[in-house]
Amino acid sequence: MIDPNYVLPPEAVSNEAVARRLVEDAAEQIRAGRLKKKRLVWLELTGCSGNIISLLDGFHPDLEYLVTSMVDLVYENSLMAAEGERAMERLMGVLDEEFILAVEGAVSLKNNGLYNVIGRWQGEPLTALAAARMLGPRATHVIAVGACAVDGGPSAASPNPAQCVGLPEVVDRPMIKLPGCPCHPDWFLGTLAHLLLYGAPKLDDLGRPLLFYGPTIHDRCPRRPFFDRGIFARTLGEPTCLFKLGCRGPVTRVDCPTRLWNGYVNWPIGASTCIGCSQFGFPDGMAPFVRFDTTREP
Amino acid sequence: MNERDLVRRQIPIVLGEIQFLTRMLYSLADHPVKSLVLQELWNQTSFLQFLLSLVDQQLAAPPAPAALAALPTFTRDELAAFTGRNGNPAYVAVGGTVYDVTDNAAWSAATHFGLTAGRDLTPEFASCHAAQQYILGTLRPVGRLA
Repeated sequence: MIDPNYVLPPEAVSNEAVARRLVEDAAEQIRAGRLKKKRLVWLELTGCSGNIISLLDGFHPDLEYLVTSMVDLVYENSLMAAEGERAMERLMGVLDEEFILAVEGAVSLKNNGLYNVIGRWQGEPLTALAAARMLGPRATHVIAVGACAVDGGPSAASPNPAQCVGLPEVVDRPMIKLPGCPCHPDWFLGTLAHLLLYGAPKLDDLGRPLLFYGPTIHDRCPRRPFFDRGIFARTLGEPTCLFKLGCRGPVTRVDCPTRLWNGYVNWPIGASTCIGCSQFGFPDGMAPFVRFDTTREP
Repeated sequence: MNERDLVRRQIPIVLGEIQFLTRMLYSLADHPVKSLVLQELWNQTSFLQFLLSLVDQQLAAPPAPAALAALPTFTRDELAAFTGRNGNPAYVAVGGTVYDVTDNAAWSAATHFGLTAGRDLTPEFASCHAAQQYILGTLRPVGRLA
């Protein structure tokens, strides 16, 4: 007798189907008591909070599912009801417990980290630097979410007045890196679901999950046939290849072309160049984002 | 069997997959399954493209020293004009050879991870691609650096 829930091949591999299977599987394991709900601490350090906003935009599954069915979200300063000393008590309460740490934002080093204070504890300011050093080594897993946490990103862009660096420069331990500006909600939730169900996902040699960061944007770009025939756009409005205008698709490894954004309806190449936000070195290494004086005569 | 034969053997297999998937599309009515097949078709096409690029790369043997010697020489000042801007091609020098990167996919807008064309990038190449010397074999040499 075949289990009615068993997915016979070929199994659906749409974004919705894969994400749904992962989370349903995770929820089932939790219900059966094989998995205990893990604690999740999400630190917002030096950045724009764009990654938590992006996560709020998650679709399959959504944030409600994350906090009710996947993990016990202990601390997230933008979303939690507690504030001030009460919020810090929750953060300090996890120190002796098991927890997964997600970090967005870079770590500011200037003046011993005083350029970014994330709260006060026992009358003393708690800097992003101190928080990263305190929580990083104690977590069971660390996920660096977004460009800033991974390698400094826009926070560390020249001239970098706050001396920002990525989390790996401050916390010396293996971590999962999810570059992107911002990180797609599926990249984070899929990685988290994988962590809960099967442990750490398979990573490439730069620490990114191969599940999401495999082929380049260029490999699957709908404008690719134009590149192969050497037909290049001279303005952003043209439907042909944006390579001459500065498209970073050929150096950016991520699944945007098939995953799509905003509830899976669109993505940057639909309107303009890829700016390489999910590649190391963004944004300085990806400049110029768009340039019109190209190698060809206009 | 050498590596190129291994790659060539893969090509008819992938083409067979593509034909199978295309035929399958004719008989499918269910939308979700159709999009699944389309996605797989897309994957197989990318894979085919990758295999073909591998065959091309292996054909591009590093240029013979005699052929290199016949190429024109560039001074650093002359090289500096080939920035890939205002209609000029984009040239970069590595290890004394000048290469054309005008239509190289990794050099969009004649820039590559913050580097600009028209310069000798020998140390930069060594610091990032020391283990990937084959990259130079995929570029078209256009001259020697004086």
